[in-house]
Amino acid sequence: MNHLPQAWGRPRDDYYGAYDASYFQSNGPNQHTQQPIVTGTSVVALKFKDGVVIAADNLASYGSLARFTDVKRLRTFADTSVVGFGGDVSDMQYLDRLLNSLDTEEAYTSSGHTLNARNLHIYLSKVLYKRRSDFNPLWNQVLVAGLDEEKKPFLASADLLGTTFSAPSLATGFGAHLAQPLLRKVAPDEEAAATLSKEQALEAVKESMKVLFYRDARSMDKYSIAVVTKEGIDLKENEKLENQSWAFADQIRGYGTQVN
Amino acid sequence: MAAMFSQNPLMNGPNYSFNQAPVTAAGNKEHAFNPYTDNGGSTLAISGSDFAILAGDTRSTSGYNINTRYSPKVFKIGGTTSTQDDATLVLSVVGFAADGEALKERLDAIVKMYRYQHGKPMSVKACAQRLSTILYGKRFFPYYVHAILGGLDEEGRGAIYSYDPVGSYEREQCRAAGAAASLIMPFLDNQVNFKNQYIPGSGVGHELQEREKIPLPRNEVEDLVKDAFDSAVERHIEVGDGLQMLIITKDGIEEKYLPLKKD
Amino acid sequence: MDTLVAQYTQPKFEKENYSEDDQMELYQPTPSLSLKFAMPPVAQPSAWLRAATDDHANPNCPIKIAHGTTTLGFRFQGGIIIATDSRATAGNWIASQTVKKVIEINNCLLGTMAGGAADCQYWLAYLGMQCRLHELRHKRRISVAAASKILANLVYSYKGMGLSMGTMCAGVTPSEGPALYYIDSDGTRLAGNLFCVGSGQTFAYGVLDAEYRYDLSDEEALELGRRSILAATHRDAYSGGFINLYHVKEDGWVKHGFSDTNPIFWKTKLEKGEFSNVTSELV
Repeated sequence: MNHLPQAWGRPRDDYYGAYDASYFQSNGPNQHTQQPIVTGTSVVALKFKDGVVIAADNLASYGSLARFTDVKRLRTFADTSVVGFGGDVSDMQYLDRLLNSLDTEEAYTSSGHTLNARNLHIYLSKVLYKRRSDFNPLWNQVLVAGLDEEKKPFLASADLLGTTFSAPSLATGFGAHLAQPLLRKVAPDEEAAATLSKEQALEAVKESMKVLFYRDARSMDKYSIAVVTKEGIDLKENEKLENQSWAFADQIRGYGTQVN
Repeated sequence: MAAMFSQNPLMNGPNYSFNQAPVTAAGNKEHAFNPYTDNGGSTLAISGSDFAILAGDTRSTSGYNINTRYSPKVFKIGGTTSTQDDATLVLSVVGFAADGEALKERLDAIVKMYRYQHGKPMSVKACAQRLSTILYGKRFFPYYVHAILGGLDEEGRGAIYSYDPVGSYEREQCRAAGAAASLIMPFLDNQVNFKNQYIPGSGVGHELQEREKIPLPRNEVEDLVKDAFDSAVERHIEVGDGLQMLIITKDGIEEKYLPLKKD
Repeated sequence: MDTLVAQYTQPKFEKENYSEDDQMELYQPTPSLSLKFAMPPVAQPSAWLRAATDDHANPNCPIKIAHGTTTLGFRFQGGIIIATDSRATAGNWIASQTVKKVIEINNCLLGTMAGGAADCQYWLAYLGMQCRLHELRHKRRISVAAASKILANLVYSYKGMGLSMGTMCAGVTPSEGPALYYIDSDGTRLAGNLFCVGSGQTFAYGVLDAEYRYDLSDEEALELGRRSILAATHRDAYSGGFINLYHVKEDGWVKHGFSDTNPIFWKTKLEKGEFSNVTSELV
């Protein structure tokens, strides 16, 4: 028993251990995203004659657990662009809020013109590059689909390191392995993409989503799909995969206990 | 010095840019954030008596994936319009594409500011020194790029400056950088600087006379660039798709694009 | 009032901007060699830098810094001889055979380059700037002792950050006579008659120590410098290329060529009968 009255009724060192001031330091190490936790899988997109088709499923996984089954990973911007997010969902939500405030601010400027898809892509890539340079990355790969300053189809990617690139078809995550070859078959180069009709592009993207659902264990059959053209954005957020055929499944050999 | 080009020395067989997972001395994997990646590709620059050529393939990779078949690595610097029509300098960057982009934009802004403040375009010599200090400014958090700067010097001759990631630089006749540098550079030594070429019939053994070094004409240099890249595409998986060439002459910068094999 | 309004009308998520300082850098007309460096935002920047650049500990590190070199300098009655090779290596890859490892700080002072090429180039250029400022302020040339001390103090202030340089400063001044200093990135600064630096230093010392005398003639001294580098390029795989030779005198330095080692080697062997370990027969 401590004989000093000041100590009476207070936590005792011999019981709780010495007082640890470090809990209240404001200059301690920062907590940065070092790995994604709740994640979205692939985003796929394809340019066509007068616009871009982009799709992503509605699943947010927690490791191997299909945790949230109604997460929309496509978001529109200024009626000219769609952003598709792959990777960490919390960072996606942060970027979403960031884009909302950008949208608000741009709406109040008197310049009169809105940000096109190219502007938006540059903005996002600068944010991502700055955050990687701060060693505090936003753990996403995003696709920006829309129209550029000449109202021509625009499609580009930016990732957590700030790496950017553009192509007639793009796919993130698992889609880069499974969907991209299918899309490249339809549109090997810009010239080929410029001859595609909206229907052909939609079919190719839907087919890719189906193939991804067959083989990507972190995917789901409910997805969002958007078409951006001069007429505006046609976003559908509750599509189901159609005409699935699991006939191939019983041909698979060599997994689990089945050896031949 | 043009040193430290990490460009994939052929050590213990071919190694690719994505063999890069940070490994500690004990050999166990670290899970800390790695701010770098390598997007593959190769660049090449050759200077002549009244021109300079900078070239690069247009493939961008991550691991075994091809990100895109058209991502330029060679840029005009310091023009007054967004099309850079009146630019006099060219920068090529290979390595980590995001750092390359950041470096390009920074140099471009600086060269533009110089033009507005001095009322004349920046000389290659001045720009070369400035680029070196930009790179050294990130000595402790380097831009992971191998840069080459090209232009025409005060006498109108082609000038090529090559850099290491932290800014040591040297003016050279020719330089290859990036994934296939170790494949292209020996070819250039032989074909541009005539290394190990002797005059036929000039003698035997130690009597052999070295071939006289002469600056190559533009059409021959363009053919050399094409041949160098066609060969690199055959033997390196990260090189291919397209060849972009910027040719700097007193009349301005001419751009040429040629297809490369896409497999 | 406007600032107050601006402050509260800023959208909440608008903080992803570069600082004013970063942006101002573009507007500076002469952003000369400065002491401001971007640092990786980690607790141990030097440990991080090492992880990214130490190809000895981790052959897969993304950024490889070149090593391997032979440089030498010695004092004699006629001034100072500075000689270097010209090879830069990254692992087994010869990155360049034409490196200028003698850095002309100004028309009286020379520096040599060993270790990180960028470190040597940048800091010797910075030293050149400081020397010029000294001249302007004091209306006379800086002494080699003072110049080398600027550099030594400078690199010492960056100790442990990962700089890598082994350099020699050479100059002749009326007050000091021929003066030669060795400075490295540990902060060491030594005055001396004779130094060899780099992976080929032992081979160069072997020749230089055997033949060195203070009362060498100019011709003998130049030949000794050349011969010492030649020995190093012959036995050290990380040295080679060209022999870069300088003679520093009181009224400034004189360059004595940037010459290919190969013909010099064969000339030395065939005409003087040295290097008898090498056969000249093409068997």
